[in-house]
Amino acid sequence: MLSPKEFIDDAVKKIKDEINDEKAVIALSGGVDSSVCSVLVGESIGDNLTAIFVNHGLLRKGEAEQVINTFKERLNFIYVDASDEFLEALRGVTDPEEKRKIIGKKFIDVFEREASKIDAKYLIQGTIAPDWIETKGKIKSHHNIALPSGMVLEVVEPIRELYKDEVREIGSELGLPDEIIHRQPFPGPGLAVRVIGELTRDKIQICQEADAIVREEVEKAEFDKELWQYFAALTNTKVTGVKGDQRDFGYLVVVRMVASFDAMTAYVPEVPWELIRTISRRITSEISEVTHVSLSISDKPPSTIEFA
Amino acid sequence: MKIIIINNKGQYNHRIKRSLENLKIPCELVDNTLSLNEIKEKKPIGLILGGGPSIDLSGNSREYIKNLDIPILGICLGHQLIALEFDGEVETSETESYAQVQIQIHDEEELLKGLAPVMDVWTSHKDEVKTLPSNFKSLADSDVCKIEAMKHLDKDIYGIQFHPEVHTTPKGDEVFLNFYEICKSRL
Repeated sequence: MLSPKEFIDDAVKKIKDEINDEKAVIALSGGVDSSVCSVLVGESIGDNLTAIFVNHGLLRKGEAEQVINTFKERLNFIYVDASDEFLEALRGVTDPEEKRKIIGKKFIDVFEREASKIDAKYLIQGTIAPDWIETKGKIKSHHNIALPSGMVLEVVEPIRELYKDEVREIGSELGLPDEIIHRQPFPGPGLAVRVIGELTRDKIQICQEADAIVREEVEKAEFDKELWQYFAALTNTKVTGVKGDQRDFGYLVVVRMVASFDAMTAYVPEVPWELIRTISRRITSEISEVTHVSLSISDKPPSTIEFA
Repeated sequence: MKIIIINNKGQYNHRIKRSLENLKIPCELVDNTLSLNEIKEKKPIGLILGGGPSIDLSGNSREYIKNLDIPILGICLGHQLIALEFDGEVETSETESYAQVQIQIHDEEELLKGLAPVMDVWTSHKDEVKTLPSNFKSLADSDVCKIEAMKHLDKDIYGIQFHPEVHTTPKGDEVFLNFYEICKSRL
């Protein structure tokens, strides 16, 4: 078994030797990989590391606050609320691939703008073993990255030999909170992959609220231990309903819960019926824009874990 | 004094390296395109052949099996390559296996020392060794696969169909420690 303490001591020393007294930046998303990596490098080079957290407006409910509170004291930390900028760029876009592209490009723009204010020589990346093992070609441990403006950064990947379970052990040893260490996987484009059709502030908020209910109830029922991911997606479909004596025409929300060992394949386990009913009732009663909740029952393959 | 791990492009090959490192066993993970001489220059005390997607992508693995006179452990595809090199037969199995299975160990030999009678292991394969090569004996079987482990009658050449390098083989480390002991005792 990996010895977390040994790994940390060794990594802290290696990073210090490699970066010396230069400056480094990292894009901190709040996910377990970039969080552990940020804190690990912070232990090594202190304020010479600047962690940049970009809020693209597609985070889950409460997520930005959680990331800010966890890291603002512990790291040389910059918070950038770029949600207006992202949503502006995404206005009218409905194609999921197009959305991903725009978000990826915008992210680099915003990150670069912040990074250029710091005279950084190194870019820290939270790459872990599965990220590079299946990519073909030679395994490169050292490489440079050129940003669109011409800024060139040397890439340092301190946890590239580790697997997810090991990253979590390192995170525990570094004293990161459980909510970060056991956070469900959440893709870079955020809720853009769970809100179908055009991304508006209203729709994003509906998705956030529904997702928060799913998370809350699953965790309360302690069903989260059985699952790899559990969330709500907002379809672009409006369906007829009746609330009180009023005819209603509202959104259809899909609840998805999958179990998986490694995300390569995933299946929908038998879900406690009471849990599903509670989630459905809460969503339709607490979110007035939603009329109907359905449960996704497709495995991967043929479906994917995410929606768009 | 190190064990060389041949990367046959399987998704767990890097796990083999990490397992050995965590056990403080000196090792190096190398590409299977290295020449026999390049391998020899590294002066390995043992060789582990990792798994992989296909025989076509196994590089010079069979050259190493044929020509190196050191303990060899083949895992999954590595196990099948050993079988082929010694005239055994490999075929696509009727029951593809991607799951934890229980193997029955009927002959521990040094590699599986302390692990009999049954062991939970992770398997991930659709091909399997159908006919034991000449001069080999079977060490373990399971409900889904007849030859889960085998050994050359005279040499320290072992093949195992399962993956000791993943945590779904809870006692996988024992296999690597036993293999390391075999390597050291032959020095």
